[in-house]
Amino acid sequence: MIQKKVCMLGGFAVGKTSLVSRFVRSIFSDKYLTTVGVKIDKKTVKAGDREVTLVLWDINGQDEFQDVQESYLRGTSGYLLVVDGTRRETLETASQLQQKAEAVSGKVPFVVVLNKSDLATEWQVDERGIVKLAEQGWPIVRTSAKTGEGVEETFLKLTLAMLEG
Amino acid sequence: MADQAVLPPGRRAERAGGINETVDPDEADDLTSLRAILVGPAEQKIQALQARIDDRFAQARDVGAVLPQALLHRASDPELARALTPPVERAITASVRRDPRPLADALFPVIGPAIRKAVSASLASMVESLNRTLEHSLSARAMQWRFEALRTGKSFGEIVLLKTLLFRVEQAFLIHRKTGLLLQHVRAGPAHVEDAQLVSAMLTAIRDFVQDSFRVPEQDSLDALKVGELSIWIEQGPGAILAAVIRGTAPPALRQVLQRSLETVHLQHAEALDAFHGDAEPFEATRPVLEECLATEYRPETERRRHGGLIFISVLLLALAAWAAFAYRDYRRWNGYVQNLRNEPGLVVISTGRANGKYVVAGLRDPLARDPRALLQQAHVPPDDVVGQWEPYHALLPGFVLPRANAILRPPSGTNLTFQDGVLRADGNAPAAWLADAARMAPLIAGVSRFDPSPAVQARVQSLTRALEQATLLFDRGSSQLRSGQEPQLREIAAIINELGSLAPAANRTFRIDVVGHTDSDGSLQSNLPLSTTRATRAIAALGLQRSEFLVVSPSGVGSDDPVVPGVSETEKQRNRRVAFRVTVDPTGSGESTRR
Repeated sequence: MIQKKVCMLGGFAVGKTSLVSRFVRSIFSDKYLTTVGVKIDKKTVKAGDREVTLVLWDINGQDEFQDVQESYLRGTSGYLLVVDGTRRETLETASQLQQKAEAVSGKVPFVVVLNKSDLATEWQVDERGIVKLAEQGWPIVRTSAKTGEGVEETFLKLTLAMLEG
Repeated sequence: MADQAVLPPGRRAERAGGINETVDPDEADDLTSLRAILVGPAEQKIQALQARIDDRFAQARDVGAVLPQALLHRASDPELARALTPPVERAITASVRRDPRPLADALFPVIGPAIRKAVSASLASMVESLNRTLEHSLSARAMQWRFEALRTGKSFGEIVLLKTLLFRVEQAFLIHRKTGLLLQHVRAGPAHVEDAQLVSAMLTAIRDFVQDSFRVPEQDSLDALKVGELSIWIEQGPGAILAAVIRGTAPPALRQVLQRSLETVHLQHAEALDAFHGDAEPFEATRPVLEECLATEYRPETERRRHGGLIFISVLLLALAAWAAFAYRDYRRWNGYVQNLRNEPGLVVISTGRANGKYVVAGLRDPLARDPRALLQQAHVPPDDVVGQWEPYHALLPGFVLPRANAILRPPSGTNLTFQDGVLRADGNAPAAWLADAARMAPLIAGVSRFDPSPAVQARVQSLTRALEQATLLFDRGSSQLRSGQEPQLREIAAIINELGSLAPAANRTFRIDVVGHTDSDGSLQSNLPLSTTRATRAIAALGLQRSEFLVVSPSGVGSDDPVVPGVSETEKQRNRRVAFRVTVDPTGSGESTRR
């Protein structure tokens, strides 16, 4: 059994916790997020004939007033950059977090998660910005915590990338 | 310039004043020779040593020559054991994979003792556990704990553990320091554990949180957490973290145990820790090292409690011993009682047992046998503890037949009954009426096959005969009339004669009774003789005897020839005016019928 540490990063209230809550094993309550600043969950992903246990570090949402604890990023094998599609500024936050994560953990695989895809009418993230990120080679998946769309694909994509790395 | 002249052309020698001076060839040869003399042997040795160093086979030989001594010299060094363990394990693994038989053959002599030792250790542990359980099951304290278990809803085992445990390392987590991923996890017995991988990561996060929050130096990282009765001690190494979950209060020495284990892990798995990318398989081998951390220590018993326990157990043992002694005594007494019953004539024990807390004995009892309750007293068995179920029966033992015959026949005074070989015999002076009743009833008595009254009959006959032959009836002077007032004698004599008649069949005899009349000396012979005969005849008539074919009564007279007293006084004459009786016994059938 392979284990991988995976951090979930994103601005405040982008839906990181909601995104995975239906798909992971959890023994800790959400209050850890507001106290310790991180909540640990576990997700098993079957990648081909290999089972990989992802130990998910759901790191408390960050904004300009709140700095992510670098120590939580240490040793991560990959990370998810979660963006709230209905809030344009969260894409910029994700970009900053990516730089920070890369500074701490080096070039490890990551996936940009465009969450809340079910709220199409409220969508604010500029498609050109997304295309620009994709052109930089950033893998991007659209997800909905509400419908579950894209969640499994996100984990599989990241897992495969980590195994290749 | 003179110096330059002695140096060989083209050669330069180093001197104190300069380095580009030309050296004379001859001088150089001399120097070479001198050097060869001075350092030649050393150079040769150095060259030989260099050759040895360059020769890997020679090195192997050299190392091989000293390796055994070197290993012996450091045999007690734990570092050596740790260093040798991985290659030895790999060598053994390779050997077993190639051909398991050599190793199996080599291990064969030690497998048996090893198994026995393991079983012995397991038994010892079980006995220790049993002792502890017993100790905590029989004391007053245990009762308290049971009540507490009931009150709190916890199991009794949990309460005992909490009350007696000093500390126990319930779990140990080996965590990759950089990633917080779980490398290995061991636990003691049924300790509760949530998902170890999640706990491992969260523990790392909390450590990071504390570290970052309080800006403490890295070497001063969080090394202990405490929640209620649980503590988490954390030891940090360069590649891994060891976290021990402890219930109770552990001694500081446990830290050293944890540190040694962590050092061992780093020593044996340094490469695997560096190269860790999520695969914890190589750390399976750390399980024994971590299990050494799962220490348990129980609270020492205080002297008072130990003494209290000892006293309690002693009292209990004494009570048990006393109970056993009393039970054994009662058992022996009861067995003795039953044995006495079996030996007692007239009692037949059919079954014994216990019912409703009492002894029960069932059997047959002759009414003449001893009362079983009297035997109870003799055996010191309390009568209230015994229920006897006795059915009556007649024992056929001689000792019972005779008393039974005496009880039924009630022989008159002077008459004895004896019993032998089934024959009940009557002896002594017994009335004919009793003898007749006895002859009728005796055969009906259990155990009596025949009744023999002949000795009693004979004695009675003799007695009656004597009485009859001493009896007389008196008459008035010159008359055949009985003197008045002799009715009692008449009845008595009649009874004697009648009884003789009734005894005759039993005696198998015929009795001849001669009634002889007498007169006094007055008067003539001619007149006295008929008078005497008449007196005899009148006496027989007065007796009113019953007829019997075995009885012959004959009157006769002898006149005055046979006076009972000689003399001529009136008193003496009166005594001679009488009838007397003579009894003759004949065999049956030779007699005549009674004549009156």
